[in-house]
Amino acid sequence: MVTGEKRQLLDLILDELVPPSADGRIPGAGEAGVAEFLPSSESYVPKPLDAVNSVLSSVSAKSADFSALDRTERVSVLKAVEADKPESFETLVRLTYMGYYSQPGIRPLFGVGAHPVHPEGYAVERESDELLAELTKSVRSRGSNYRA
Amino acid sequence: MSNDPVDVLIIGAGASGAAFAWSIIDTRMRILCLEQGPRIADKEFPSRRDDYELARYAEFSCDPNVRRLKQDYPINSSDSCIAPVNWNGVGGSTINFLGHWVRMKPSDFKARSLDGVADDWPVDYPTLEPFYELNDRNTGVSGLGGNPAYPPYCPELPPIPIGKLGQTLANGFNKLGWHWWPSDVAILSQDHDGRQKCVNAGTCDLGCAAGAKGGTNFTYWPMLENARVELRTECRVREILVDQSTGFATGVLYHGPDGQVHEQKAELVVLACNGIGTPRLLLNSTSRLFPDGLANRSGKVGKFLMFHPLTGVAGVFDEPMRGHEGPMACAILSQEFYETDPSNDFVRGYGLHSGRSTTPMTYALGGYGIDDPIPWGEAHREVMDGQYPYLAGLTVVTEDLPEERNCVTLDTGLTDSDGIPAPKVAYRISENTRKMLKHGEERSKEALLAAGAKTILAKNGDSVWRRAGWHQMGTCRMGKDPETSVVDGWGRSHDVKNLFIVDGSIFVTSGAVNPTSTIQALALYIGECIKSNIGNLFD
Ligand SMILES: Cc1cc2nc3c(=O)[nH]c(=O)nc-3n(C[C@H](O)[C@H](O)[C@H](O)COP(=O)(O)OP(=O)(O)OC[C@H]3O[C@@H](n4cnc5c(N)ncnc54)[C@H](O)[C@@H]3O)c2cc1C
Ligand code: SF4
Repeated sequence: MVTGEKRQLLDLILDELVPPSADGRIPGAGEAGVAEFLPSSESYVPKPLDAVNSVLSSVSAKSADFSALDRTERVSVLKAVEADKPESFETLVRLTYMGYYSQPGIRPLFGVGAHPVHPEGYAVERESDELLAELTKSVRSRGSNYRA
Repeated sequence: MSNDPVDVLIIGAGASGAAFAWSIIDTRMRILCLEQGPRIADKEFPSRRDDYELARYAEFSCDPNVRRLKQDYPINSSDSCIAPVNWNGVGGSTINFLGHWVRMKPSDFKARSLDGVADDWPVDYPTLEPFYELNDRNTGVSGLGGNPAYPPYCPELPPIPIGKLGQTLANGFNKLGWHWWPSDVAILSQDHDGRQKCVNAGTCDLGCAAGAKGGTNFTYWPMLENARVELRTECRVREILVDQSTGFATGVLYHGPDGQVHEQKAELVVLACNGIGTPRLLLNSTSRLFPDGLANRSGKVGKFLMFHPLTGVAGVFDEPMRGHEGPMACAILSQEFYETDPSNDFVRGYGLHSGRSTTPMTYALGGYGIDDPIPWGEAHREVMDGQYPYLAGLTVVTEDLPEERNCVTLDTGLTDSDGIPAPKVAYRISENTRKMLKHGEERSKEALLAAGAKTILAKNGDSVWRRAGWHQMGTCRMGKDPETSVVDGWGRSHDVKNLFIVDGSIFVTSGAVNPTSTIQALALYIGECIKSNIGNLFD
């Protein structure tokens, strides 16, 4: 678990990795609680907290009070950390995307169902025979295009 | 579990092993199939979970090196730009395959005589045609008859929806006057044969919890188990045994679920372990008679590995394309650039496949088979809000010509959970492929623009999708000449008369289409040849 001040810092970082939308409709990864996912993500990378802690300490080393920075400054710090600790940083980015998009509530914000895809799936109308005949008419009219 | 001798021992319960077993069930021979993995029940498929996408990066990854389940064997692909992927268990890689069901074309069997490259197959399209038909009936295939890119045939079931995405791209191809057609799919567009139709869930790689996809877990295996074909799961074959005086295979040694090594005797041994697993097992089966691996007097076991190198181009459209709805890899297929065209700077050709787009997490992590995450920060917002919902893409799937340097060998320093040496793959793409990919990328851009794309997203680089070694072919090639091939025109080893290979290892060339329909048609054909030659099988 990441708790206390470290957790606050982590949430701020996560909110820069996947920032909220300008209209507030889509939450950032910090606000969406991705920090909760990170400790339990050993199935996807070995020792995920090592990567998280490495990024946290690198951010702290580069800025005494990250929360006091404006967003442009925060991004500059994170870019410097990315250059310094590329592997840990990439691991954190990947895990952030996993923790964020695996939340059923997030998917509909991108037009995808919140439900598990089975058994319900999606209702998609099959094209009518007429529509398919119309769409493929010009292909048929050009005749065969294979070598016998 | 008794190890009494059997008539036919099949190794591997995937696409080819199951089809082959079905082809001989009417012989009343005692058939046993040994499979290293377990059965997987529909309820275990992760698409029923809320966080279903996560499974792609762990226990349901298509990459055995990521899954690392007990039944998986590691594959050293450090010397390859493409990583082989698979599934090990009942159904084989048809558990996570995507059901795109494309036949090879008549010209695919004649690359040498038509285009002066590679070799002709010892079988041709007309010979395989009835077996394609038979296999389609056993599998349940949906599609639209009358495709001018093929000799006439008609899938049994109507096509699955091509959706907004497919219709949009079809209009682009029509504007350019290029061929396209709704994809044939091993996916049910309507309830059929006691199986449920596809619910357009879009996660076919996570198993098909509806039972609509034509994996052999849903098609052949229920028929085989009804016919009392014996299937022993969690049994990994480590070596095929040979009588050193007669040169005939006598059976196998395998690791059972009890952790012990068992011997199983058989009159006929049939390999169906896919294009990496089969050469691996032969190379691991050495003896005085076969010091370089079983059936390897030609030295060609493991050589001529072919994949289908591929790359993708996407277009951003004005309206949402709803690309996550519908079977993942199948909407429409253009074969405009499939056949050799002398005006190109390459031989043979490629297909332009329009799969659908993927789910948000997989897109953010770089796409299926790519694994190169999209940017973080404000750029992330722009991609996910401004591009992701509006995407339609084309995948350029090229024919891979056989080259001896592309091969499977053994890595004795890397083993599976039973201590058996793992395969090592050395593979790079040829100049011909590179040119095809470039050509395909340019044509894809034209098609997407004609379809109304506002922006084109292409890599413009030279690289291929890495985790995309879905199709593994050529590593025990068929041929008439025992000096240059491993098996003859009906899958029988030139060197060991009672040893057959029925998977994609025996392909002579790869075509530029997904291989499973051809792999299974070939397995059925081999079964038929065995039946017709049963009287003088071992001469
Ligand atoms: C993600 C993915 C998507 C794909 N999509 C498509 C598609 O859309 N269309 C298409 O045509 N093809 C597709 N393919 C390819 C298709 O799945 C394969 O071509 C097909 O399954 C190969 O059949 P096979 O019998 O050779 O091997 P498999 O089906 O892989 O079966 C081989 C079996 O042998 C077993 N085995 C191996 N070694 C041993 C041993 N030593 N002892 C015991 N058992 C052993 C394995 O466990 C496995 O179950 C896809 C594959 C993947 C992985
Ligand atoms: S989209 Fe259709 S075929 Fe694919 S997994 Fe879902 S139901 Fe099965």
